Amino acid sequence: MAKKLKEVDVVVVGLGWTGGILSKELTDAGLKVVALERGGNRTTQDDYALPGVRDELRYVVRHDLMQNTARDTLTVRNNISQEALPMRRLGSFLPGEVVGGSGVHWSGHTWRWTDLEFKVRSMYEERYGKKYIPEDMTIQDWGISYAELEPYYEKFERAAAVSGKAGNLRGQIQEGGNPFEAPRQNEYALPPLTKIHASQMFNAAAKNLGYHPFPRPSANASRPYTNQYGAQFGACEYCGYCQRFGCEANAKGSPHVAVIPAVMKSANFELRAHAWVTKVIKDKSGKRVTGVLYTNILTGEEYEQPAGMVILTAFALNNVHLMLASNIGQPYDPKTGKGVIGRNYCYQTGTSATLFFEGKHFNPFMNAGGSNDTIDDINSNWAFDRAPFGYIGGANISGGFNTNLPIGYRPVPRGTPPWGKEWKAATAKWYQGAMKIDASGAVMANRYNYLDLDPTYRNAFGQPLMRMTFDYKDNEHKIGQHAAQVINQIAKSMNPTHLTEAVARTTPWTVVPYQSTHNTGGTIMGVNPRTSAVNRYLQSWDCHNLFIVGANVFAHNASYNPTGPVGALAYWTADAIRNQYLKNPGALVHA
Amino acid sequence: MTTFRVLSLTLLAGLTVNLAQAADAAHGQKVFAECAACHSAGKGPSGVGPSLFGVFGRKAGTLDDFRFSPAMKRSNIVWSRETLDAYLADPQRAVPANRMPFGGIPDAQNRADLLDYMEQTFKQ
Repeated sequence: MAKKLKEVDVVVVGLGWTGGILSKELTDAGLKVVALERGGNRTTQDDYALPGVRDELRYVVRHDLMQNTARDTLTVRNNISQEALPMRRLGSFLPGEVVGGSGVHWSGHTWRWTDLEFKVRSMYEERYGKKYIPEDMTIQDWGISYAELEPYYEKFERAAAVSGKAGNLRGQIQEGGNPFEAPRQNEYALPPLTKIHASQMFNAAAKNLGYHPFPRPSANASRPYTNQYGAQFGACEYCGYCQRFGCEANAKGSPHVAVIPAVMKSANFELRAHAWVTKVIKDKSGKRVTGVLYTNILTGEEYEQPAGMVILTAFALNNVHLMLASNIGQPYDPKTGKGVIGRNYCYQTGTSATLFFEGKHFNPFMNAGGSNDTIDDINSNWAFDRAPFGYIGGANISGGFNTNLPIGYRPVPRGTPPWGKEWKAATAKWYQGAMKIDASGAVMANRYNYLDLDPTYRNAFGQPLMRMTFDYKDNEHKIGQHAAQVINQIAKSMNPTHLTEAVARTTPWTVVPYQSTHNTGGTIMGVNPRTSAVNRYLQSWDCHNLFIVGANVFAHNASYNPTGPVGALAYWTADAIRNQYLKNPGALVHA
Repeated sequence: MTTFRVLSLTLLAGLTVNLAQAADAAHGQKVFAECAACHSAGKGPSGVGPSLFGVFGRKAGTLDDFRFSPAMKRSNIVWSRETLDAYLADPQRAVPANRMPFGGIPDAQNRADLLDYMEQTFKQ
């Protein structure tokens, strides 16, 4: 029997970026907030300090900051005719499990997604006609606009110490920034990071071919910085340990540095770490939630935490799983196309080339999460005509490298034996002289890519695992082909000694190797409760005191990293709760 | 980090530093922004970096509430204006294998101003 605890105003499930932001905003509004986090409470000084943090075995191979698959995982298949099997070891994506969430181990790439995403169906239909969008592509408008989200993007960029160069200030194109970005009111919080040599070479080559390179905006502080919560960031030291690691210099915008310490000071806030939420509890009417059920995973004790409001702020996939496990909202069925929970699950695609230059010394151990230059000519550039290529979306292409770890980073030309004397000679020869050009490509929603509960396999709490049914479709293959062409064109113009060319992916998606932790959708936002799980304020259509915040609300996936809009939407939702919902609790949008 | 050191030394050599210029504690406080993510100003406890309160005259690597690197512990440095200046100019050169993730402050005037500020702020 679960022990019933005293009611609080708000329960926040998961304490990463979104949980941290919502906790801060709502405690500031005078609400009593309890945050339940599966992982432990780790800090820079105790856990990410030198030299312990420089441990590739612990953090990269053994996934020390990630979800433990022995306790909970997903089953995976490519299509509905297959039987899904459990992913017993993390690979393709790496959800964080710690206070700070995946925001501890991210690289920091922070983009502003634009109306090209938020109004994807209406913009493509208007320009290319209704028939341009394939029948099984279930893309839809998100119910929000860039202009509405702009101030919230800025708030997030300031919280996370984002370094970059504006390309469009209030409609004026700025030299050195991304000319295709949507207008910004203000410059970035910090100037861009210092370019590494490989990025300078990519920049020159891309410019020479008529592309528009610019520094990738990243939550890596280029200078010492203090954010709106008084959090102090050190300047990035270009140590090269961004991805998979906590930052020892507090230079990376991570929630455990940027916002959580500020909320920890509030008497209205309580963090319970190692608390695993298994269910959101509904009342008899089914129109309100009354709290959550959770297990302390250190003691095995079960608790019921009653609350006036529940906010799901776990990793995107886990938010969806919790909705399915709690039986809130109608589960999606790909056969009928009906139901909303699990609908429009998306991922990302990509391809890359490796360039080998004899005699170059790139010093690959020295870089930051955002030390690459990138081009958006076939991505956020709406003037680029997609019709000859036949796809929707695009690819962001970047040159250089980040997080090249001393043990794991072994670039060798394609065709080199994978072990033995020849491999050793090649890895010694090319370690200093290799760089990459990568593309990250969008994935459009498809009727047959979705999430539901697995009929067979269960987690440590006896609950059905979530089942992921996903594969790349024609649109992704076309984006991959075009991105590979552009990459190879730029790469060849740089005259490398060897070039391992980019090849578009045509094989089915698999759970290995690592690809991207940008899993989106499953409880998408929208204007219609028949095709979305939450309204434009991320409020559940079914239960008005339940909000679901995270990339799980994205109606499809862009080529960009998701954290920019994830952070902006957290502030947007906090604002809607503070200024609208608290005054008049109920549905914020009437369907 | 090796490359950083080379870079810092090059910068140092390339600058004409006017040592006669008076140190400026107010400017030093601004320079301290580079340190503030890890070292609290004034009488704060140790955090990501050790507390600097009372640093002048203290033997390096001897605070109870901070886990110092073996390199710092066996450095036998007693912190003074001079030893701090050398350490801040190039931390890895002054104490090889210490764990402070910081490339140093190559500009001598900036260091002088910073030390002025530190003398005011961290004196016991």
